[in-house]
Amino acid sequence: MVYKTKKKTLSFQDTIFNLQKYWSKKGCVILQPYDLEVGAGTFHPATTLRSLGPKPWKTAYVQPSRRPTDGRYGDNPNRLQHYYQFQVLIKPSPKEIKKMYLNSLSSIGINYEEHDIRFVEDDWESPTLGAAGLGWEVWCDGMEVTQFTYFQQMAGVECKPVSVEITYGLERLCMFIQNKKSVFDLIWNDEGITYKDVFHKSEKEFSAYNFEYANTDNLFKIFEMLEEETKLLVEKKISLPAYDQCLKCSHVFNILDARGVISVAQRAEYIARIRELTKSIGKVWIESQS
Amino acid sequence: MSELFVELFSEEIPAKLQINARNELKKNIKNFFIDNQIKFNEDFNVYSTPNRLVLHIDKIPNEIKLNSEEIRGPNVNAPEKALEGFIRSNNTTLEKIFKKSTEKGEFYFFKKEPRKIKVSDLLEKNLSEILTKITWNKSMKWANYDLYWGRPLKSILAIFNKKPLNFVFNHINSSNKTFTDKSLEEGLKIFNDFNSYIKFFKQKGILIDQDLRKKIIQNKINEIINKKNLKVEQNERLIDEIVNIVEKPAVIICDFDKKFLNVPSEILITTMQSHQKYLPTFDEKNNLTNNFFVVSDIKDTKGFVKLGNERVIEARLNDAEFFWEKNKTQNLVKQVDKLKNINYFKGLGSYFDKIQRMRKLSSLISDDFLISKDKIEIASSICKVDLMSDLVGEFPELQGIVGGHFAKFQGFDKEVCLAVSEQYLPNGMESKLPKKMYSIALSLSDKLDSLVGFFGINLKPTSSKDPYAIRRMAISLVRLIVENETKIKLKDLIVYTCSAYRDQGYDFDTKKIQNELSDFIIERLKNYLKEKKIRQDIIESSTFLLGLDDLLKAYKKSLCLNKNIKKEIGFETIAAYKRSSNILNTEEKISMETLGFADPGLFKNDYEKKLYKKINDIRKYFLSIGKDENYEESLKILSSIKNEVNDFFDNVIVNDEDIIIKKNRLELLNMLCKTFDNYFNFSKIEA
Repeated sequence: MVYKTKKKTLSFQDTIFNLQKYWSKKGCVILQPYDLEVGAGTFHPATTLRSLGPKPWKTAYVQPSRRPTDGRYGDNPNRLQHYYQFQVLIKPSPKEIKKMYLNSLSSIGINYEEHDIRFVEDDWESPTLGAAGLGWEVWCDGMEVTQFTYFQQMAGVECKPVSVEITYGLERLCMFIQNKKSVFDLIWNDEGITYKDVFHKSEKEFSAYNFEYANTDNLFKIFEMLEEETKLLVEKKISLPAYDQCLKCSHVFNILDARGVISVAQRAEYIARIRELTKSIGKVWIESQS
Repeated sequence: MSELFVELFSEEIPAKLQINARNELKKNIKNFFIDNQIKFNEDFNVYSTPNRLVLHIDKIPNEIKLNSEEIRGPNVNAPEKALEGFIRSNNTTLEKIFKKSTEKGEFYFFKKEPRKIKVSDLLEKNLSEILTKITWNKSMKWANYDLYWGRPLKSILAIFNKKPLNFVFNHINSSNKTFTDKSLEEGLKIFNDFNSYIKFFKQKGILIDQDLRKKIIQNKINEIINKKNLKVEQNERLIDEIVNIVEKPAVIICDFDKKFLNVPSEILITTMQSHQKYLPTFDEKNNLTNNFFVVSDIKDTKGFVKLGNERVIEARLNDAEFFWEKNKTQNLVKQVDKLKNINYFKGLGSYFDKIQRMRKLSSLISDDFLISKDKIEIASSICKVDLMSDLVGEFPELQGIVGGHFAKFQGFDKEVCLAVSEQYLPNGMESKLPKKMYSIALSLSDKLDSLVGFFGINLKPTSSKDPYAIRRMAISLVRLIVENETKIKLKDLIVYTCSAYRDQGYDFDTKKIQNELSDFIIERLKNYLKEKKIRQDIIESSTFLLGLDDLLKAYKKSLCLNKNIKKEIGFETIAAYKRSSNILNTEEKISMETLGFADPGLFKNDYEKKLYKKINDIRKYFLSIGKDENYEESLKILSSIKNEVNDFFDNVIVNDEDIIIKKNRLELLNMLCKTFDNYFNFSKIEA
């Protein structure tokens, strides 16, 4: 009998290792996740603040990201309130960034020559960060696996030089690589541990917290306190601690939003308040950079 | 004769920007050739792929001759420095400067000898500026550079007469090379002419010409659908987008699990089209099938592309199905109360407030339409509930349609379901128009409520900005009325809408809203008529002093006159009117205080009497016609005054010595014009 040799499937953690190694070789500072709740890798100060000002900067890191409204109690195969992004930020954007990106796909087992890789227009905007960029979502055989953005503005300030941000949705990417229909079936490591083993309980419990149990009266108060603290720290011109408080504000707002206690009109107002905080922090940061 | 060939290589430029850049480049280069009087093959083209913007023009002379010309310099009395500057800028010497008198005084002149200029020199000098003139709807910067472009520009290849053109565009030096591998931006290769360039890429399966790509995609699709007995919808916008996001199109037919066909087809179609750029297919009965087309940018030799796309659509449809199953059973009526939590617009209350107003309004409209008040009130009450569903959250473009499906599933009356489904229609000039009375009533009340509300909080569109698409709303209102021949009292409805707002405690300036909104809607009617290719003077006449309740009349009258203006009934009507009004206009009006009628006792002859009688006959006609005026008949009657008018003007001198007689004759002509006003004011019509 002839046995076909089956290529080993890349586990979730190996995918992360490979990306880290790849971008490390490209000269990036490999950071660890930021230790606060954030909505996306972009919120990490290594991206938001470091993309401002004239100094060159290259980094890559995994960032756990929380989107309370996307929770589905672990019932939906494609949606999570907590997931991982792999984030790369390079300033100024290098000439060969597309080549670098496509080769990074090869490093995790996707041969770009065998798949329909498409750069589909997707301009990005973050109202809370006062940020905007132009770029694409990258499709691999119709599935969105990466966001690819040239920052034009951050914290209300025009970016000069321009940074490029590459954000891989790790779960999606691995579902593609491992050919899985449900995120919970992803193979986490070579010992057979699955994504479900690691995160299903947490999805269930946090969905309950985000949608049902979070104490909204307290959260409204906490928001006010954090906002006040941010403003105070901005006055003291210490941008990094100020930014931490602002990130907390943003997360509190996201939970309140998931609890459905913020009306449409209020929503815009809260977003504007957070944006004002980010802007004032950005200003202090830039002053410290020149 | 030579060819100009330019390629701008960049990272992937989005479809819409590409199309715009092609047009811009084409226009700018054409203007350059015309301005410089260089002959060129006007039948040239600009091509693009996501990464390449390519210009190719042939039949260009290598040199152009410039005739001798006299160039005027400074005035002889100007300071010496001006003369020095003039000499310097023309690269000449004082000896060659001469003085000459002109109408404006004596000036220094310089005679430029006839000379030849190389077109390649001109191009090298100007190409950078031509490229700068390309305007992008959206552009970006990258790295440390200052250049704005659709996406990062990497290289410029520029050839004239098989030789490279050398110029600098911001940080980029032009050359005769380009990257043949668009993915890795590698494989630099020299090209000296357009043909070898096209050939090279064709061998790799890459089609630079977008029209060719479109043809190939369409042929392939047609081949498959003919074999499988399927149909695809002609969706030019989607096809054009697909054509411009691939360079070597490969059409792949895929399918999804048939079980998803139980989900309303609009949801499936939107998922495929707007989210994934797939082309859905239909069977002979126009029912959606589970086959769809993917246009891939590579040949799917290993079947990965088909597999991947089928997996993506399954995940997406799973999501849609999940939401559909969840939402369809959520009781619409029970959810109405929750609309209180959803803001309609800042300053205009919640959606709950809005549907209360819409209910009052649609119920009033139902009286005019002779439709069931109960049914239209139900439709109004439930029509916005779908805004709270997950499905509309996922597919905002399906608002209304999704609500219609919920209503159908929950057993609401057929007409109610359709009205909910069509409440946002029409949406502008081109969109589908609802035809059923319930749908029209609901759509009208939705639009009126919005228009009154936005005018109430003073968010009227300005000449350049219309962020809430209020113009489109008003155009849609006009279409609902004129195209459906809807007989409503718009003025009353606006007043009533204002009062519905006031009942909810809004402090609106009703009078102001009525006036401004009235002008605004009539202005939209004018635009509408213009789109329908009605003559401008007819538009002006039909809308002169127009009341809001007469939109339909104005529309029909202008249509009728537009059609007949070159025919006898139109032509003679206008002639009769013009002959009379011209005299009235030339006579000094100051001395003339019109009574509004002529005195038959003062008539001196039969011509006056006959004209008087005819005018009265026409007046009787207009008095007798009710709501069902036949406008062609009216024109015919007006034109029938031709003989009486001609006889009058041929035989009667209006300007009689006796001022009383003269005045009476002017009164008679004034009567004629006033009678004609029953159709509309013809004074603005250009004969």
